[in-house]
Amino acid sequence: MSVSGKFCAAAALAVSLGIAVGGASLARADERAAELFQLCATCHGDDASGNFLYGAPAIAGMAEWSVKTQLTKFRDGQRGMHFDDIFGMRMRPMALTLRSDEDIDRVAAHVASMPATRPEAELHGGDAANGKTLYAPCVACHGMDGEGREQLSGSPLANVSDWYLLRQLENFKAGVRGGRPGDQTGAMMRAMSGTLSDEQVMKDIIAHIMTLAK
Amino acid sequence: MIDRYLVALSTYASDIDDLILLIGVLVGFWFILCEVAFFYLIWKFRAKEGVRAQYMSGEDPKHKRWITWPHLLVLVCDLFIVVGAVRVWYDVKQNLPEPYETVRVIGQQWAWSFVHAGPDGKIDTADDIKTVDELHIQVGKVYHFKLEARDVLHSFSVPVFRLKQDAIPGRIITGWFEATGTGEYDIQCAEICGIGHGVMAGRIIIESAEKHASWVSSQSPISLAAVATP
Ligand code: HEC
Ligand code: HEC
Ligand SMILES: [Cu+2]
Repeated sequence: MSVSGKFCAAAALAVSLGIAVGGASLARADERAAELFQLCATCHGDDASGNFLYGAPAIAGMAEWSVKTQLTKFRDGQRGMHFDDIFGMRMRPMALTLRSDEDIDRVAAHVASMPATRPEAELHGGDAANGKTLYAPCVACHGMDGEGREQLSGSPLANVSDWYLLRQLENFKAGVRGGRPGDQTGAMMRAMSGTLSDEQVMKDIIAHIMTLAK
Repeated sequence: MIDRYLVALSTYASDIDDLILLIGVLVGFWFILCEVAFFYLIWKFRAKEGVRAQYMSGEDPKHKRWITWPHLLVLVCDLFIVVGAVRVWYDVKQNLPEPYETVRVIGQQWAWSFVHAGPDGKIDTADDIKTVDELHIQVGKVYHFKLEARDVLHSFSVPVFRLKQDAIPGRIITGWFEATGTGEYDIQCAEICGIGHGVMAGRIIIESAEKHASWVSSQSPISLAAVATP
């Protein structure tokens, strides 16, 4: 091999090594996310479609910003720290196991990248037609199709388990969620939940939200 | 003695430490003695040219006394431990001194929650203070705790008190403690209770009378409602 041939070979080797290393670090980030998600899968399911028995809602395909917001709220004690928040108390320590903001970002990206699932209806007796009318005031913050509004921190609601939505509305209304000092966005929703007069109203709205699932 | 190395802050912590020390010393004494004897015998009766190993059935009293004598001596040591343990058990678990106040301690997956008596000094009244992961008590006062579990087995463990009590769903278990110093310390769960067991940590905040009183007034449901209403 000539000198220039050797040089070319060395350069090619260096470049391919560089690509391999770069690729490996990308792969490593994915690996880390998948590793972190293993914990989530024990309750939320391998496909993140939720588990009624554990009280863990479907989160597959949930908007990345929303997963991040909620994980941060759990970690910082704005969610899952109320005396009567039995289910929030199960989730909070899981968020505490995410050691850094980067880990929260990684697992949130992972959850968001999963294909959304269509949760089975568990609630009965909701009137979707009536719910559609009642949903009108919610559109501003949660979007016409329940897709969520990042600017207003309104969580996505479509493709979320109905029993979970009902529990959240009841929690907001009872001050179990959205009542911690410093939780301004929670307080916004808590104020809104005051307008829902009873469980039937909540069920009607949720029946409508269930029709929005994609 | 142990409290020179590990903070001890309850009236009965030193009793428990002393008992553990007593057990440690007795067991340690026999452990070292046995190891020395074993190694000595292994060395003394190591393989030698022209000496065959003997089979011993262990029925001959001459051989058996190597077991019977230590056995009797260990039983005597046991007596000391049993007497000490029964005394401590009675003081810590059975003879509850009159309480200054009672606090409800509730374990659930995966947090500790507490019902403090509030300004009127009684639990199960309207002015109770409910908290999660934070127990506030006053130093130098006898507290009774009513321990419950909302789902599965947990164990209420406060290392600085040397206190550990299982919480059993469906039962309300009463115990007591009296803190001898102030500060903020760990509360743990000491019974495997699911995937979050290892992070089921709370804090106990032991306060002077004045500090405790000001915490109580800052947490009364009325002043809290003023902060939380949106
Ligand atoms: C021990 C079971 C358990 C594990 C493990 C767990 N979760 Fe949860 N999660 C729950 C429960 C229960 C809720 C519902 C809380 C409530 O009702 O307030 C929840 C709620 C959530 C929510 C809020 C959903 C919403 O619509 O606001 C997100 C996001 C979430 N979990 C993400 C995760 C991630 C990411 C992981 C892994 C790091 C994880 N969870 C691990 C039980 C679990
Ligand atoms: C002013 C804006 C606003 C309006 C209007 C509003 N919400 Fe919300 N909602 C929010 C915010 C912000 C959150 C997220 C709170 C948090 O982060 O804890 C939320 C959360 C929720 C959640 C919990 C979702 C989850 O995944 O945990 C439900 C359910 C919900 N809203 C239903 C409704 C319904 C039904 C209406 C109409 C009656 C409504 N919201 C109107 C702002 C609003
Ligand atoms: Cu536990």
